[in-house]
Amino acid sequence: MTKKRYEKPIILKQHSGMMNKFGSTQTFRPITKIDDVEIDSLTEKFGSPLFVFSEKQIREKYRKLNKIFKTRYPKVRFAWSYKTNYLSAICSIYHQEGSWAEVVSEFEYDKARDLGVKGENIIFNGPFKSESALEKAIREKALIHIDHFDELYSIMEITEKIDLTANVAIRVNMDTGIYPPWNRFGFNYENGEAMLALKRIIHDERLELKGLHTHIGTYIMSAEPYRQATLKLVDLAKEIYDNYNVRLEYIDLGGGFPSNNTLKGQYLEAEQLLPTYEDYADAITSALFELNLPSDELPVLTLETGRALIDDSGYLITSVFATKRLSTGKQALIMDAGVNYLFTSYWFNHKVVPTKEISGFTENTIVYGPLCMNIDVIRDDVVLPVMHKGDKLVVLYVGAYSVTQWMQFISLRPNVVLITEEGDVELIRAAETNENITEQERLPEKLSDFTLTD
Amino acid sequence: MTKSDYLSNRLFMRLLNDISTVWRDGNLFLDSVLYSYAQIFFSNRKWFGLAALLISFIDVQVGALGFLGVLLSNSFALYLNFDKDKIRKGFYGFNGILLGAAIGFFFEITPLILGMAIVFIFLAFFISASMEHLMANVFNLPGLSLPFILTLYIFLIVVTNFNGVLYRDLLTASTGAISFLPDCVNLLLNSVALILLQSKAVAGFLILIIILVFSRVMFINSLIAFFFNFAVISILFKNPSYTLLILTSFNAILIAFALGGSMIILSKKTIPLLLMTIFFTIIFTLFFESILAEKLLPVLVLPFNFVALSTIYSLKFRKESTDLTLLYFSPGSPEENYYYHTTRTARFEGFKYMFPEFPFLGEWKITQAFDGKHTHKDEWKYAWDFEIADETGKFYSGDGAKPSDFYCFNTPVVAPLDGEVVKAIDSVHDNNIDEVNLEQNWGNTLIIDHGNGLFSSMSHLKRKSILPKVGDKVKKGQVVARCGNSGRSPKPHLHFQFQLTDKLGDKTYKFPFSQYILKTDSREELKVFDYPEENQSVKNIDVHKIIKNAFTFKLGDEFVFNCSLDGEKFTERWKVNVDILNTLYIENRNGDRLNIFISEKIFYASNYIGKQESALYFFYLSASKAPLGYSEKLFWEDVFPLGTVTKGFTRYISEFFLFYGEVIKSKGVYNWFSHENETISLRSKLKIFGTGIFSFYKRDGEGEIIISPDSGLQKITYRKNEKNFTAQVKGD
Repeated sequence: MTKKRYEKPIILKQHSGMMNKFGSTQTFRPITKIDDVEIDSLTEKFGSPLFVFSEKQIREKYRKLNKIFKTRYPKVRFAWSYKTNYLSAICSIYHQEGSWAEVVSEFEYDKARDLGVKGENIIFNGPFKSESALEKAIREKALIHIDHFDELYSIMEITEKIDLTANVAIRVNMDTGIYPPWNRFGFNYENGEAMLALKRIIHDERLELKGLHTHIGTYIMSAEPYRQATLKLVDLAKEIYDNYNVRLEYIDLGGGFPSNNTLKGQYLEAEQLLPTYEDYADAITSALFELNLPSDELPVLTLETGRALIDDSGYLITSVFATKRLSTGKQALIMDAGVNYLFTSYWFNHKVVPTKEISGFTENTIVYGPLCMNIDVIRDDVVLPVMHKGDKLVVLYVGAYSVTQWMQFISLRPNVVLITEEGDVELIRAAETNENITEQERLPEKLSDFTLTD
Repeated sequence: MTKSDYLSNRLFMRLLNDISTVWRDGNLFLDSVLYSYAQIFFSNRKWFGLAALLISFIDVQVGALGFLGVLLSNSFALYLNFDKDKIRKGFYGFNGILLGAAIGFFFEITPLILGMAIVFIFLAFFISASMEHLMANVFNLPGLSLPFILTLYIFLIVVTNFNGVLYRDLLTASTGAISFLPDCVNLLLNSVALILLQSKAVAGFLILIIILVFSRVMFINSLIAFFFNFAVISILFKNPSYTLLILTSFNAILIAFALGGSMIILSKKTIPLLLMTIFFTIIFTLFFESILAEKLLPVLVLPFNFVALSTIYSLKFRKESTDLTLLYFSPGSPEENYYYHTTRTARFEGFKYMFPEFPFLGEWKITQAFDGKHTHKDEWKYAWDFEIADETGKFYSGDGAKPSDFYCFNTPVVAPLDGEVVKAIDSVHDNNIDEVNLEQNWGNTLIIDHGNGLFSSMSHLKRKSILPKVGDKVKKGQVVARCGNSGRSPKPHLHFQFQLTDKLGDKTYKFPFSQYILKTDSREELKVFDYPEENQSVKNIDVHKIIKNAFTFKLGDEFVFNCSLDGEKFTERWKVNVDILNTLYIENRNGDRLNIFISEKIFYASNYIGKQESALYFFYLSASKAPLGYSEKLFWEDVFPLGTVTKGFTRYISEFFLFYGEVIKSKGVYNWFSHENETISLRSKLKIFGTGIFSFYKRDGEGEIIISPDSGLQKITYRKNEKNFTAQVKGD
C-alpha cells in the first residue's frame, strides 16, 4: 500500500448552503475516459492542456439531428458553420456526412475551397464580404446571402462587370418575440425592407434569387421563435411567388440551437431546461408545410447549425498547476488553461469534472486559469473535491467556438487531438511554437541590438 | 452505252429499287401473301412464307390452288374492308391456302373443280371470319385451321355428288419417298410435307430445314413429337397402317408447333405437356377416324385442332399461370416469345398502374411485416408497422419511458397516394408506454380512398393530429397526421395497410409499394413494386432535379450525336415520338426504336428494336432502368432480352437447349456517380454469360451516360471486349 498523501487540516464553517429543492450536495461522476481512451494516456502523449474531439460523437450527433429533421420534412440540408469550428479535420467530418459549408469571411471561404468544397456548395454569409471575395463567390456559383443594400449594389456592379449571374438570397431579420432581436443583420421584415430588396433582386437579370435566410439569434431556448421566423419567411416566399412567379429553392433558418452548456445566470442546468431538438424541428417544419406545396415543390430546408452539433463532442483536459486557499477560506485552483483557450467561459458555466475518483468531501471551489490577469476565471464557484497539483479536470462541451476564438495571449496554444471512430488518436492541430508567432514579425534593423542596464 | 441501253438500265435499276422497297417497307398485299404462308407454321417471317410458297409448288397443282386460295381470300378481305393489319398478318389467308391446297391434293383439276374451288375459297373466308368472332367471344380462343377443315368437309360431301369428279391417288408408304433413307425418316419427312399437303418427302425435308433456321425450339419439338408418337403407335399396334402412322405423326408435329412455344410460352413443363397432348391426339385421331370413315371424310388436322384448343382453353382456368403461360402478346418465334416473356416477367412482374409510396418522411424501420409475430395475422396479415431507429438500432432516446422519447412519436405521416379522406378518427388518447387500449384497438386512424377500389389505412396516430377532414382531397406526400401511440399500441409506431373498403379494421389487401430504397449497412438498393420485410430500413426516393430533367424525354425532343464506333465516325439523330398506343419512344434516322416510359420516379427503357450499333442501342444498354433519385450508395439491377444483347452462332446453338432454360443469361448492375465538374454519370456493368456447357461464353460491357445540370444528356460511352463506342451530344 502506498503512503497516503498528506492533507493539510482546515477548518470550515458549517453552513447549509443556499436553499434549493435538489438538496445541498452535488456529486460528480469523474470522467476517466473519452471514447474508451484513457485521459491519462492522452496527456502523457500530447501534454496538458489538451483539446480532444470525438469523431464518433460528432457523427452520431449529426446523424441524430439530420434524422430528426429528415423524418419531418422531405428536403433537408445542413451547412457546416465554419466559424463554430474550422479545424480542417472537423470540417471534413461534416462534409463527409454530406454537409455543405457556411462561411462568413473570405478566409473561411478559401478554407472551404481548399478542403475541396465546390463553390456551389458554399453559403456565403456575414455583413463583411470584400469585393474580391464577392467576385470569387460569383464566379464559383456560391450562394451569397446578402446582408445590406451596399452589398447588393456591389454584387450588381460586379455581375455587370464580369457578365455573370450571381446566385443570391437575402438575410431577413424580424421580430420573433425574443430579446434582443438581432436587427443588425440583414433586411427587416416588418418595415418592408426585405421585400424591397427582393424586388430589386428579382428585377435584376444577373441575379438569381435562390432562397431566403434568417438567423434569429444564438442559444435560443425556445422553439416558438423559430416557428415565428419560419412563418414570416413562408409569407415572403408566398408573396414573391404570387407576385413574381419566383419559386425559391431553399429556406435557410440559420443556426442558434443551444447545446448542453449552461448559461451564466441560468438557474437550472441546460439539460433540464431546454426544449428537445424534436421541438425545434416540429416548429420549423410544421410552419414550412404552411406553404401548401406538393412535396416535390417544397423548398429545401437549410440549417446552419453549429454549436448544437459540435459543442458536446469537444473536451478540454487541463491540469491543476497549484492549489491555494483564498483569504475567504475558499479552495482555489490554478489550472494550466484559462480564458485564453476558453473564451466561452465568459458566458457559460462550463461543466468541470475531475478525471479520477477523489474521495472526501466536496467544497465550493474557484477555478483560475494561468494568466496573470484578474479576469482569467474558468468557474468562479463550482463544487469539487479537494484537488492537488497534477490532478486533472475535464471541461465539457467546449467543441464550439473554443478553437476558433482562442487567443495566443501570454502562452501558446496547445495540441488538439481527434479520437477517431476506430479508437486511434490523431493530432489534428499541433501545439504552437515560438516560430509560429515570430515568423510573421519584422524587426527593424535599428532595434536588433540592445544592451541592458546593469 | 447507247441511249436505249442507258434507259433500259435505268428502268431495270428502278425496277430493282421498287422491288427492294416493296420488300423492305412492306407492300400490303405481298406481305399478306407471305405472312399467310408463314402463319401455317406459326412463323412471323416473310422469308419463311416465301420459302413455304415455293416448297408448295413441288406439287404444282397443290401449290397453284393454294396460291389461288391466298390470293382470293386476301383480295376478298381487302375488298370487303376487313382490318388491314389482320389481312397483312395473314390472318385471313392461311385457311384459303390450306383449302386450295387440299382440293388440289384430293382432286384432279377440272374446270368444274376449279370453279367449285373458287366458290369454296370464298366460303372458307366467310367461315373463318365468322368463326374468328365466335371462337374469340365464346371461348377467347383462336380458330386455328377449323374453318379449313369445316369447309373441306362440306366440299367433299357436296362435290362428290357432281358428275366428272376425279380423285387423285391417295397417299401410300412409297409415295414420294427418298429411296436411300430408312422408312422411319421418310415417314417423318412425309408427315411434315403433309402440312403443306405435299406428298413428296423432299418437300418435308425442305420444310424441316427452314424450320431449323427459323426456330431451334420448334425443330427439336417436332422431332420429339414425331419419335414419341412413333414409339407409342409401335407399342399400341402390331402392324399400324400407313395412314394411321402418317396422320398421327402429322398431328403430333402440329401439336409441337402450337403448344411447344408458339401459343404457350416455353418452359420446363413444355415437354411433358407435349407428350401428354400427343397421346391425346392419337386417341382423337382413332376416334375421329372411325366416326368419319362412314362419311368417307379424311381426318387431317381435326385431332390437332381439337386437342390444341381444348388444352389452351383448360389452361386458362388456373389460378396462377407462372408456367405454361399462354401467349399474351403478338406472337414471334418460340424463342422470341420466350425471351419477351421472361424479360418482361423479370423486369415488370408485379407492375401496377398505381404508385404508392411510404406514408412517412426519411428513413424508417419495419418492426412488423406480413404474417408478423404480434398482430399481423390471418385476415390482417398484409400490413406493416413502421418505427424510427437510430444508428444503434434503438427506437428511443433517454429511457424510453414516455411516448415522446420515441423517435417516431409526433413525426409527420403523409399520404401514400393521391386520394380522398373517407375516415378520420382522432379522439383516442395516446397510451403510456407498455399500455394498450383494446377497446379502441385501431386508435386514431385515417383512411384514404385512392380510387380504383384501393384504400389505405394508417393507425395509432397521435390524438388530434389529423389535418384533413373527411371528404378532403389529399396529394401524395402531403402531411396528413402525426405518428402517435393510440389504440393497441404499447409503443409509438405507425400501422399501415391497404384494404378494399373504407371500413375501420377491414381485412388487409396485398399491394406493393411502387418504388423505394432498401438500406443496408453500406449500400442502398432500389426496389420496385415490392413488399418490404421485417427489420428492413427503408425510405422513399427523393427526386434529383438534374437527373429528372435529363431523363424526362418530351414529345418532339431532338438530339444529335457525334458518334465514334471503333474509330468509325458517324452522326446520329434522335427524335422523341409517340405511337398510336401512346407509347413514348425514341427513334433514330435508321429506324431503330427504343420504347421508354417514366413511372413517376423511375425511368424505363422498356424495349429496343433495331441494330446493335447505334447510340440509341448503347443508351438502351446503359440506361435500361434508372431511378430519378441520387445517392452514391444506390445500386440497382436489370436484365435484357437475349436477342438485344447477343447475336450470332452461339445464341443460335444455345436455343437448342432453351426448353431446359436459358443457358445464356444477362445482367446489368447500375449506379450513379458524381463528378467534380457538377456532371453526373450513370454507370453500368453488363454481364452476358453462359451456364452449363456454355460457360465458355462471356461478354462483358461497361457503359456510362453523362448528364449535366444545364443541358441534360451529354455523352454516352460503351466499352465491350472488342469495341469502343462514344457519342457526344452536338452543341448547337
